[in-house]
Amino acid sequence: MPRQCEICNNARAILRRPKTGQRICNECFFYVFETEIHNTIVDNKLFKPGDRVGIGASGGKDSTVLAYVMKTLNNRYNYGLDLYLLSVDEGISGYRDDSLETVKRNKEQYGLPLLIVSYEQLYGWSMDSIVEAVGRKNNCTFCGVFRRQALDRGALMLDLDHIVTGHNADDVAETILMNLFRGDLPRLGRCTEIVTAGDGYIGRSKPFKYAYEKEIVMYAYLKHLDYFSTECTYSPNAYRGYAREFLKDLEFVRPSAILDIIHSGEAMQVASDVQLPTLAHCERCGYISSNALCKACILLEGLERGVPKLGIAKSARHAQELLANESAMKSAGKAVEPVHFELLRGKAQAMREQRQMKEQQQECHDCTATSCAFACDDDATGLCSSSKETRRCACADSNAETNAAAS
Amino acid sequence: MCDKTTEASLETQRVSPKATVEPSQYERKRVPGMCIKCKVIKPNVTIRRSLYCKACFVRTCVVKFRTALSRSRKNTTVPRTKLMVALSGGPSSSAMLNLMADFQRMELRGTEAQSRYEDIIAGHVDESVLFPDVQDSLISEIAISLSIECRITKLEDVFATNDEAPLFIKLVQSTLAPGALKDKICAHLVKTNDSISSKKRLQSLFSSLASATDREEMLDIIKTLLLIRLARKAECGVLLMGDSGTRIATKIVSLASRGRGFSLPFEVGAESSWFDNVVVYRPMRDFIMKEIAFFNMWTKQNSVVVPTFTTGAPKRASIGRLTESFVIGLDHDFSSTVSTICRTMQKLEPRKQALNSLPCLTCGMPVENDAQAWRSRLTVSKPLAVEAEPTIQSNGSNDVPSDEDGLVRADITDVVCYSCQNILTSAASGTTFPGATVDHFLKSKGPGDAKVDIVNAKQEALRKQIETFLLNDNE
Repeated sequence: MPRQCEICNNARAILRRPKTGQRICNECFFYVFETEIHNTIVDNKLFKPGDRVGIGASGGKDSTVLAYVMKTLNNRYNYGLDLYLLSVDEGISGYRDDSLETVKRNKEQYGLPLLIVSYEQLYGWSMDSIVEAVGRKNNCTFCGVFRRQALDRGALMLDLDHIVTGHNADDVAETILMNLFRGDLPRLGRCTEIVTAGDGYIGRSKPFKYAYEKEIVMYAYLKHLDYFSTECTYSPNAYRGYAREFLKDLEFVRPSAILDIIHSGEAMQVASDVQLPTLAHCERCGYISSNALCKACILLEGLERGVPKLGIAKSARHAQELLANESAMKSAGKAVEPVHFELLRGKAQAMREQRQMKEQQQECHDCTATSCAFACDDDATGLCSSSKETRRCACADSNAETNAAAS
Repeated sequence: MCDKTTEASLETQRVSPKATVEPSQYERKRVPGMCIKCKVIKPNVTIRRSLYCKACFVRTCVVKFRTALSRSRKNTTVPRTKLMVALSGGPSSSAMLNLMADFQRMELRGTEAQSRYEDIIAGHVDESVLFPDVQDSLISEIAISLSIECRITKLEDVFATNDEAPLFIKLVQSTLAPGALKDKICAHLVKTNDSISSKKRLQSLFSSLASATDREEMLDIIKTLLLIRLARKAECGVLLMGDSGTRIATKIVSLASRGRGFSLPFEVGAESSWFDNVVVYRPMRDFIMKEIAFFNMWTKQNSVVVPTFTTGAPKRASIGRLTESFVIGLDHDFSSTVSTICRTMQKLEPRKQALNSLPCLTCGMPVENDAQAWRSRLTVSKPLAVEAEPTIQSNGSNDVPSDEDGLVRADITDVVCYSCQNILTSAASGTTFPGATVDHFLKSKGPGDAKVDIVNAKQEALRKQIETFLLNDNE
């Protein structure tokens, strides 16, 4: 006799749930998986209605499932979010070009707008050309540092409020272990946060923080989602490999271990007398940084000068001084000066104001003048001073409402 | 054995080479191919890439231990008291006893002619009920050979009724659909009687635990509990635990993997005042296993092999076993892993809530608020039809369903820590657990902040329940 689902006691169980070991049916699996994501989003207050949310999409399993689940939950629970797909093209032939095709298909399948930003366009260097210069070792440093910034740049181009990434519970647990093993205290404190400030303007979060990797794969498989699965053609991160293998063993010994590690990580607290780096902004590109120059600028400088090892491992300590002294020096490299973040932020702000103005115009039709002077718009209503006056009497109530929503 | 004569001879050996190299005494320079300390004797051992000769190595160990012990003492103001050294008989605790005996001798020899500690007592937990192969006579010999009194408590004593443990926890399977995750842990608080011997009770406890990981965790809990009780009984205000650096690193990782992040600073910290009346120090934390092995060999210190549930088992046998093999492997590939993990730990501190929270009924460590609610939000196990809101109920009077046999069930979910919940939910129904803090649980505490008061109110309600139903468990 076929086994019954342990949750609904009705349908036939077809799978053993990796997180809990329960034998459950298809529908119940979808339901519990989605509900746990919903609980994560609600309990942590990740979004507010009207947020423009970008989904970091690589075309891999995590981000494909994330896009699907975000869309599903947004409709089911009326989050009121504007969703976008945001992809980074690192320029790795035979890997990213194929996975981006998947993202493009996802765009059609889910009906979400897509923006692709590429390393080539942002920095003048693709990963392929970086690997040519750096070699196979350490190139993951470049990729990781550049991707983080590239996502923020893309988000500003779309004027997003929030980026969600497909980091899952396995990733988080692995990072906790890794930071414990190598004594990275600032990161140990940070890595369990579900929302990180990003560049200080755009929030970043991990709705899959408590979702097991195995369940994400299971979900994608059972929903027949279209995703791309190949390892990156460049070398994987060796140290993370240790932590990963250990975590898989732990999961085998006790399936709840992944959740337990995250629970532990959340409870740990760095002693108040330990000095943690303070956050400032990069002098060159305006990105968030704990040093005078951000890591991306240092790495880029190294590439341009033909000393790609600058800023990696031991030379990292001297890199700041080195660059401070001769920051003006530039060689004839591939030289694309990355756009300053202030400029991007300014543009995003302008886009926001334009949008707000449109909304205002739709709300009440008294101010159709396109020459509205935003310069004098100090209370951010999106109106020029003259129409503000007239509005104040005409439709004070509706105005107050929209203002509250906008702020 | 490391007695005074060997000690003296070690010191003369140390002094003579030093005198000859007086000028370079303070230089940190290494003489290639020579001991890093005296720089004239050919080295016998490499520790963390430094070479030491026999004499300098032993001397370094002695100094390191003294520093560790006085460093621990600086932070707390413990009045002069007796000190208990936890002795399992393994290499680390045997070395610690040796070093402590030496410390005491040095203190007495000093100008003050009064040691910081009134007396040194060794405390041993006899595990022969679970591991009959260990010869306990060998362990008390270790203490006797250092002329230290050894007090022994048996593992099964945890089931002996006394003031600190008036009642035990008897697990009741809550009625939920089979396979569904429990969102409550229910138990009877029972009195033991003599019809079942403590020995049998202990054996049946370990056989009804679900996995080797649970058994290891339970054994650790009981051992700590018994040592604390032993120290209190012997009026020792200080308890030394012999966790080596390697062991602490392993413990940190395995405790974290079992969800014990909240209590981690208390369980592996250099010193912990979590337990009433007993301060716990871990002065061996700066020694790696290799140092201890060489120290024992060169001071002819005896030790025994202390078996565990997974001795000789494959690495995936339990979380403890897996972590041990992983940490040692990682330390082999990245040489400073052990010390890095330990140092990371030192920079973590307990959360403020942890200092004020209730001790776990089972393990005695602090309990987080709403651990079970956190879990049930992330492991939804209610069907689509039922609204998946968490239904953790308070300990109201409605919450005390009466069982068929007339016993009253108590919801202990809020007084069991996250990690012990893992053990309890997977243990067989009807298992009797020794309570670490049933006395705490029963006693109403003094006034605290509002949160504590709420919990205390709950406790009070529970206490009333059991007052009227002082139970016997020989049904």
